[in-house]
Amino acid sequence: MTNAEATAASVAVPRSAAWRVRTTTLGQRLLFASVFLYFTVPMVAVLLYSVATRWTAHILPDGYTLDWWIKTFSNDRVQSAFMTSFVLGFLTAAIDIAIVVPAVYWARVRNPHIRPVVEVTAAIPFALPYLVIGFGLLQWTGIVTPGLQGTFPLLVLGYAAIAFPFVYWAVDGAMAAAGIDRLSEAAEACGASPFQIVRRVVLPNIKPGLVTGGLLAFATALGEFAMVKVLASSVNTIPIWSAETIRSYTGDPGAFNELAVVTTVLFFLLFILSAGVVYWNRGRTVQLLPGAATVENREQA
Amino acid sequence: MSSTAPVGTAASAANRPGIGSRIRAPFAAWGPALPLIALVLFCLVAPALVLVAQTFSTPQGIGLGLWTKVLGQPVNQRAIITSIELGLASATISTLVGAPIAWLITRMFPGRRAFWLGLLDVAANFGGIGVAFAYVATLGTVGMLTLIIQGIGLNFVPPPEASFIALLMAYEYTNIPLFVLLTIPAMGILRDDWWEAAQTASATRRQFWRRIGAPILFPFVAAGFLLIFTWSIGIYGIAYGMAGQSGATPVLLITLQIGTALEGDVLLGPARAGILAVVLMAIAVVSLLAYRTLLRRALRWF
Repeated sequence: MTNAEATAASVAVPRSAAWRVRTTTLGQRLLFASVFLYFTVPMVAVLLYSVATRWTAHILPDGYTLDWWIKTFSNDRVQSAFMTSFVLGFLTAAIDIAIVVPAVYWARVRNPHIRPVVEVTAAIPFALPYLVIGFGLLQWTGIVTPGLQGTFPLLVLGYAAIAFPFVYWAVDGAMAAAGIDRLSEAAEACGASPFQIVRRVVLPNIKPGLVTGGLLAFATALGEFAMVKVLASSVNTIPIWSAETIRSYTGDPGAFNELAVVTTVLFFLLFILSAGVVYWNRGRTVQLLPGAATVENREQA
Repeated sequence: MSSTAPVGTAASAANRPGIGSRIRAPFAAWGPALPLIALVLFCLVAPALVLVAQTFSTPQGIGLGLWTKVLGQPVNQRAIITSIELGLASATISTLVGAPIAWLITRMFPGRRAFWLGLLDVAANFGGIGVAFAYVATLGTVGMLTLIIQGIGLNFVPPPEASFIALLMAYEYTNIPLFVLLTIPAMGILRDDWWEAAQTASATRRQFWRRIGAPILFPFVAAGFLLIFTWSIGIYGIAYGMAGQSGATPVLLITLQIGTALEGDVLLGPARAGILAVVLMAIAVVSLLAYRTLLRRALRWF
């Protein structure tokens, strides 16, 4: 798994886009048509394979059936893979929100020195392949905590570490947009306790950031392959199941169709997650990628 | 009244008189960030340092023994070169296709723009084994496109899944959308008034692009190129899924070699994987530093 696969939904749209393309040239039409086909044909192929009875010789499948869907979801390995991936996703999102929110809040209201420390480390999962981080974690835990190796908790920690930048950028952007330092100051002036400030002022105001960050962390854990492969390949996640199936594929058609079913489901899940991110950030730039935020801020200034 | 002391900047926090503040100050200043910092040190910083350190440790102490041994093997040299070639090819195509698309999308009406952003967003999210399987289902031996082309009577044999060209096509599935999403914010920098101003000065569209558009956008596009290059070199899931197909000899890539070294090679395995991982790290670090320099220079203009 690469950073690329995890770097999800950035729907950063410049505010001043008044310069519309009113006339589309033939070249532009061709460009967009081929891009459209390039991205949709594989989706259609996967979807068709999940409902095809036999498809080896003709342009379209010989017939259609829902048997593969029923068969795939009664497969214990598939069920457990979905369960594991969901639990991993939830834990990753929950841990990241729980540890990132206090850090960002404190960096904003009390100690600005926290920010550079966090931002430098947020560049690590952004730049280094997850394969390298996972392998490093394997070697490092081999030295300090051999008992943790290959375990589910270690995998959760690793995922929390690689997904934290998404939560950080989302929460930080939400706090900036809400003007959390001033709100928090006002609440404190009104005599609110720190707990009240966090519960009644901070959290409700950064809800879009929390949801966005959580969804992105969840999506990262859902599709990640490299780290789980080197760190804990005995943990059966959706990508691990798919990889085993695609590798052991020897031409028997059933495996191919089951893969198609699982891929289709994964695809829909990611689609829903992206839609959620877009919905929660309507009218606001998602400041998920470094640079995007800077560009956006300069543009406003 | 100490409970209503203003929450403010670090300066006011530092100047605040308090009981035992000398002892508690560092904790009060860093406390809420400690869980995050601890996680990051344990899972990101320490592993990276350990990886680097291990490549220099030989039975005789600190030395370059492992490096010369591993980098001397032709298979590793070949893997490094192919990975860089694949990264460059992938980033070049992403830039050539992605830059015009990003530009045109920022100039679309909101409805159409939302449609394209949604499509690209889903494709960018979709990665790893999923893309590998989607490729096989499309251009594999019984892939849909293969069957369609053969169906219209052409004698078409798709490239093997584990080949350079097949990997390149699959990589672009996530790389083009990522490039577009990365550069879209920058495209907004080129203001509408500048084109109007240029027109007032009777500039042609071509002149506008050569003298204003291209120089301003260049650093951002180059930065996108660098990121895609870095990410492509580190891709493992897609390559793993496609390399396993049909027993063909897969193309040699750094990431695949790391995987094989860890799975099979007991003797030199971890050491070889370590060196290759550090090579990947070095490429990524250099590329990211160049990316930051580029962006900083570009933003000086604004």
